[in-house]
Amino acid sequence: MENITEVLQLFLATENFVAIAVGVVIGVTVGSIPGLTATMAVALALPFTFSMEPVAAILLLVGIYKGGMYGGSITAILIRTPGSPASACTLLDGYPMAQQGEAKKALKMALYASVIADFISNIALIFFAAYLAKIALNFGAPEFFWLICFSLTIIISLASGSMIKGLIAALLGILLSLVGLDSVFGSQRLTFGNYNLMDSISFIPLLIGLFAIPEIIEFYRKKVIPHLRAKASGAGVSFSELKGSLKSIVRGSLIGVIIGAIPGTGATAAAFISYSDAKRRSPHPERFGKGEVEGVAASEAGNNGVAGATLIPLLSLGIPGDVITAIILGAFMVHGLTPGPLLFQENLPLIYALFLGIMLSSVILLFVGNAAIRYFSLIADIPKSILFPIVLMFCVYGAYAVNNDTFDVWLMLAFGVLGYVFNRTGIPAAPFLIGFILGPMFEDNLRRSLLIGSNDLSIFVRGPITWFFIALTLGSILLALYRFITSRQKAKQSASEPGAGA
Amino acid sequence: MTKFHSTGGTLIKDPWDVVAGVMLLGFSLLLLFYLVPNYIGQPPIMQNPMMSPRWLPNIVGWLLLVFSVLMIIQGVLIADDAEDNGRRFERGPLLRFALMALSLIVYAGLFEMLGAVISGILATLILFIAHPVRTWWVYGLAIVFPAGVTLLFTGIMNVPLPMWPF
Repeated sequence: MENITEVLQLFLATENFVAIAVGVVIGVTVGSIPGLTATMAVALALPFTFSMEPVAAILLLVGIYKGGMYGGSITAILIRTPGSPASACTLLDGYPMAQQGEAKKALKMALYASVIADFISNIALIFFAAYLAKIALNFGAPEFFWLICFSLTIIISLASGSMIKGLIAALLGILLSLVGLDSVFGSQRLTFGNYNLMDSISFIPLLIGLFAIPEIIEFYRKKVIPHLRAKASGAGVSFSELKGSLKSIVRGSLIGVIIGAIPGTGATAAAFISYSDAKRRSPHPERFGKGEVEGVAASEAGNNGVAGATLIPLLSLGIPGDVITAIILGAFMVHGLTPGPLLFQENLPLIYALFLGIMLSSVILLFVGNAAIRYFSLIADIPKSILFPIVLMFCVYGAYAVNNDTFDVWLMLAFGVLGYVFNRTGIPAAPFLIGFILGPMFEDNLRRSLLIGSNDLSIFVRGPITWFFIALTLGSILLALYRFITSRQKAKQSASEPGAGA
Repeated sequence: MTKFHSTGGTLIKDPWDVVAGVMLLGFSLLLLFYLVPNYIGQPPIMQNPMMSPRWLPNIVGWLLLVFSVLMIIQGVLIADDAEDNGRRFERGPLLRFALMALSLIVYAGLFEMLGAVISGILATLILFIAHPVRTWWVYGLAIVFPAGVTLLFTGIMNVPLPMWPF
């Protein structure tokens, strides 16, 4: 009873409601502007949370995340430009529907599917996070060491593109995370005598530099392309159409939940798996890809089903599953909180206040999404030539605000250039960020294990949990090799097909 | 842009990968044989080498070396067209890019000296000229936005910023 009062006290603060609403509005707005991503928005919003209460701060970022997931589908449907990679699947049927004058129907279905999936995902989060955290309370340093190894390998093995590049990115991230004073011996590591680096590389300049600056550099490097305009016209979605797609939405949501709970898999995979599942089960599979409303529903359900579930490993184990949850982890740290099983023991009211806020964000998404459909043209018509200077302003101010030092602005620019080089060379930025976050955790748990075991390496295989994570780590490495071999075989097959490459 | 690779029998299938791999190889060698020994301090007595502050950077360095070699081999042998398509784009005028770089330097170099508002106005004007923005009233936004965003940070969010010079 005392806990319930405490939870309600934490949750019912006006600041929380404002934070969720503002977060969802920002997310939908940014998501519906091609070229701006939810990741960028979450990174830029992080400095604003410094002075906020922890619950409001996290809810603001979660709101942006959820809003951004839906916002990305607006541009996918209307102008065939997915606002986020996960929305790429939505355009398969959404854009043909828009061309047939049914844009509003596609947008409404995308919204309802998103909200239902989001709700299911949140329920899964509430049920499984606490359960997983309870199990994780039995983990010691060796178990966490192997869990981090597994997380690193699965994130790399499931990263899109080349596995070698994913590994290189993660290694570079780990290396940069080691800059600063050594936590055990206090000796300097790669600081080059610079006192700004002694407290390690600041997370926020790295984040903003890596995810916002490359977009700005690329915009001014590319040839100007004409600005596309679109309108959400036509009739909305009927109740019978929603009912007809409900099974696909629920299935897609569950697919999203399962995929989202595994670190590294992401919303894009969930959207495509959900879409192909709906197509396989549909009595009219031939309509998919030509403007089938169920296709929009399935892909959006898969996409949004991930949103709540990605928070399961973050909250219960302290392991970020993707880039946005990595940023949310940063927000926890800024407020002196460490996600993981201990957070459930020491700060349970805060966790439940967050859960309530996350549930509320789904309801707010419904209202904001409806308004966004109506006023989309106003949002999307703002030219990037005006938007990007403002984005850059937020980047600089946000980076400076971390330590009130221009060193962080230079650092942000350096990471911006690095992010741009990554884009050009096809090295993914996500494993870099995950490596940067997991690097110190990896080293800390390794050293703690050695200290606990008096330098005896057998501590790393001390029980069934360590063996379980060793098996998972090996499994994810084998999965990566399998994916690599099959993708090469497919590439060879398509190259040998008549007419290929001609 | 010169296109090096093809599905046929050219020597290097993906020059981007080869260049990036060579640079990473150089960096990993620099890390292993210069940066780690010279810029990472180590206590004189160590019970277990895995406890050393140099242990993980060394492991990372060796792994980087191995994967950079693999990246070079990948670049020589495999052309990833799907990935390459995302990398190629039509470049705009150099002046536009140079002005963008100048605005970054204005922010980083003059932020504390001029304050957030003036450096913001200056950098935004440079970016508007870089594009170029042809609607005259939009240039008014170059004053409104930096002032507004600065106030948002300092006044509403209580995040301290140097507003004005001095």
